[in-house]
Amino acid sequence: MLDFFTIFSKGGLVLWCFQGVSDSCTGPVNALIRSVLLQERGGNNSFTHEALTLKYKLDNQFELVFVVGFQKILTLTYVDKLIDDVHRLFRDKYRTEIQQQSALSLLNGTFDFQNDFLRLLREAEESSKIRAPTTMKKFEDSEKAKKPVRSMIETRGEKPKEKAKNSKKKGAKKEGSDGPLATSKAVPAEKSGLPVGPENGVELSKEELIRRKREEFIQKHGRGMEKSNKSTKSDAPKEKGKKAPRVWELGGCANKEVLDYSTPTTNGSPEAALSEDINLIRGTGPGGQLQDLDCSSSDDEGAAQNSTKPSATKGTLGGMFGMLKGLVGSKSLSREDMESVLDKMRDHLIAKNVAADIAVQLCESVANKLEGKVMGTFSTVTSTVKQALQESLVQILQPQRRVDMLRDIMDAQRRQRPYVVTFCGVNGVGKSTNLAKISFWLLENGFSVLIAACDTFRAGAVEQLRTHTRRLSALHPPEKHGGRTMVQLFEKGYGKDAAGIAMEAIAFARNQGFDVVLVDTAGRMQDNAPLMTALAKLITVNTPDLVLFVGEALVGNEAVDQLVKFNRALADHSMAQTPRLIDGIVLTKFDTIDDKVGAAISMTYITSKPIVFVGTGQTYCDLRSLNAKAVVAALMKA
Amino acid sequence: MASADLRRVADGGGAGGTFQPYLDSLRQELQQTDPTLLSVVVAVLAVLLTLVFWKLIRSRRSSQRAVLLVGLCDSGKTLLFVRLLTGLYRDTQTSITDSSAVYRVNNNRGNSLTLIDLPGHESLRLQFLERFKSSARAIVFVVDSAAFQREVKDVAEFLYQVLIDSMGLKNTPSFLIACNKQDIAMAKSAKLIQQQLEKELNTLRVTRSAAPSTLDSSSTAPAQLGKKGKEFEFSQLALKVEFLECSAKGGRGDAGSADIQDLEKWLAKIA
Repeated sequence: MLDFFTIFSKGGLVLWCFQGVSDSCTGPVNALIRSVLLQERGGNNSFTHEALTLKYKLDNQFELVFVVGFQKILTLTYVDKLIDDVHRLFRDKYRTEIQQQSALSLLNGTFDFQNDFLRLLREAEESSKIRAPTTMKKFEDSEKAKKPVRSMIETRGEKPKEKAKNSKKKGAKKEGSDGPLATSKAVPAEKSGLPVGPENGVELSKEELIRRKREEFIQKHGRGMEKSNKSTKSDAPKEKGKKAPRVWELGGCANKEVLDYSTPTTNGSPEAALSEDINLIRGTGPGGQLQDLDCSSSDDEGAAQNSTKPSATKGTLGGMFGMLKGLVGSKSLSREDMESVLDKMRDHLIAKNVAADIAVQLCESVANKLEGKVMGTFSTVTSTVKQALQESLVQILQPQRRVDMLRDIMDAQRRQRPYVVTFCGVNGVGKSTNLAKISFWLLENGFSVLIAACDTFRAGAVEQLRTHTRRLSALHPPEKHGGRTMVQLFEKGYGKDAAGIAMEAIAFARNQGFDVVLVDTAGRMQDNAPLMTALAKLITVNTPDLVLFVGEALVGNEAVDQLVKFNRALADHSMAQTPRLIDGIVLTKFDTIDDKVGAAISMTYITSKPIVFVGTGQTYCDLRSLNAKAVVAALMKA
Repeated sequence: MASADLRRVADGGGAGGTFQPYLDSLRQELQQTDPTLLSVVVAVLAVLLTLVFWKLIRSRRSSQRAVLLVGLCDSGKTLLFVRLLTGLYRDTQTSITDSSAVYRVNNNRGNSLTLIDLPGHESLRLQFLERFKSSARAIVFVVDSAAFQREVKDVAEFLYQVLIDSMGLKNTPSFLIACNKQDIAMAKSAKLIQQQLEKELNTLRVTRSAAPSTLDSSSTAPAQLGKKGKEFEFSQLALKVEFLECSAKGGRGDAGSADIQDLEKWLAKIA
């Protein structure tokens, strides 16, 4: 079933590998590393490579990676559990070998894990087989009861997934046992808005019970009236619930739940007794059609509260000690430790103009990378997280692709063909301005430039370029370059097909011996489908050497949308095997944003393409290249 | 004697003027021959001296014992690392972090080096180079000879960066370009790789100096590689760059031994 399971150190050494099929696992795993782990996309732990699905788990304490691969079409439910089991066993078994910092112990250690792994795999497969029918049943049964459980889960969105799963299972089980009864009772109640006779009687008897209990209670603890008041309060919703429709009753119960659990913490034992009484009432009350339904949910809530309560008390008790321990002792980071810091970091990133989704994904990835890592002495959670985030940001801004325009132009020159650069972007980001700056830079380096005015739509676009051309040729007159025209405008007026003009321009440049063709396109909003198609056509037809996306640094969340849609348009309308996408980014108006440099991160994160140029002003020489460290420093600055 | 010591310390501090009153009072105290003060002063001095010595020794050791394995992705750094340490063949994946281990040089003195295998991926390599370059005694730049023709531009660009970086260091490390994967039939020879790299670095020098300046204008102009106005050659550099051929995989597949004797000899030489 599994194609492979491999365990390797982050340093790149394969410690142990299980091969289900004869194919090598190196290729897909390398793809996983390069396109997920190194790109800070580690939010979810699965990745699809060709026909394989890969799931991975990081062990940050011992710097190990566990990867399992299986065919995409299979839906193996046990894989997550298997990875966890293998991870645990492997860690425990080879603790001594993997604990040391030196790679030597890893190299000398023998990891004879085959038998253990096969056992675990068998167990996992067995368990999934056993569980299979019950899961089917669960789905059938929970058809009707699904809704309340689902809604309950949704209200608590922050709950970890596993807990939700558990609760679902639990709920399903409960409903499996007494679900049919409850639902059959619930249906008439739902249908008839008014409470029907027998039900009414049931409620009455319940009321009697409550009253009796209350009297008992008052007799027992003849103390404060306010407590009895409270008890009346507590059954007040119930009395109301008698008249109200069922849905409301459910809400009332939830309210009571809160009361139940808050009372013992705020007051002494008598309150606890009271809550017990109420529980008793609920248990004995025969009119339980509603309670039965949310019985499971109340259980879950209790479980959830139980799970949170101890941690809270621990926090208050051991806060001081924990702080000291956190400062001095070496301890491994858990997700809860990082939660608050990461939240703060995320807000900070968003405040620095990083797109919100990307800030979330980044923090998620950093958390994944850090979970379980052992912190050094005297390092706080904040500093560790900050450090990791900083490294990740530098990593993102590091170009994935070599960008050396001059080098490539030289190559093109040698082959006697022009080097074609296309500029695209939304309206008003500064395509033409930066095109002029780039042509100035190229002219300074002794390359002749042909500017193709393919913006045949906006009024004045051609005139703007003509002005630029005139000024540039005044700066670089032919006399200075041996009578050779260094810069020229190629235009065909307005309203023509842009792709055709670009093609003619390229042919013209080839004949006239221009080194570079800069193609200026019309600005277009990413949602304008016809214009996007036209752009895709221009790029497909002319196959430029470089497609530059011009984006302004002022953009926030919009950056994601723009780049994704531009890329998608280019991919959709391309006939080639590997579609021509954006190759690089020109970030403009960088001088206007002070230290809110988040757009740089957003754009490189989405495309994983480098920022080739940065526009920083109005004059021809206001063109810079990006310095990753400076940007990250500005980004991390409080 | 103790007072002489004290004076020397004060002079060494270079702020004798401001400490004059304290010094005077100290001298008075000393003249009273108070044994406790004297012993305290001596103890403090001893501790300070030990700390300084320890720091010096430590920094020297760490700054000179590391051998960095750098290069592009898939050039065989990690396998070379494994082969040097154990002599065995191991499967490897793309490295995410560095791995380091103590390597015992096989010469008669038997001293040891710290081998550090740096990840070669584009987004990581500069970061890691930055982190470890100050402790480098030697840098081994691993090149995939079989895929050299295709990646020559990338190799040259990274090599340029590494060379610039290592020339800026206080104690320039020894530099070796290991032309790996010689077991593959189409592999380029070290000689040819050297020529190609020189040519490529020559053009890179031009394009780099013409590139637009970086965002923070405070950074100084990039260092010049080689002599100006001349075709670039490795012999022009201040640090000696050597070339050798090796094959981490070896001619006889997984079970066979590697062909890295030259590299081992070189490491023994620089140790």
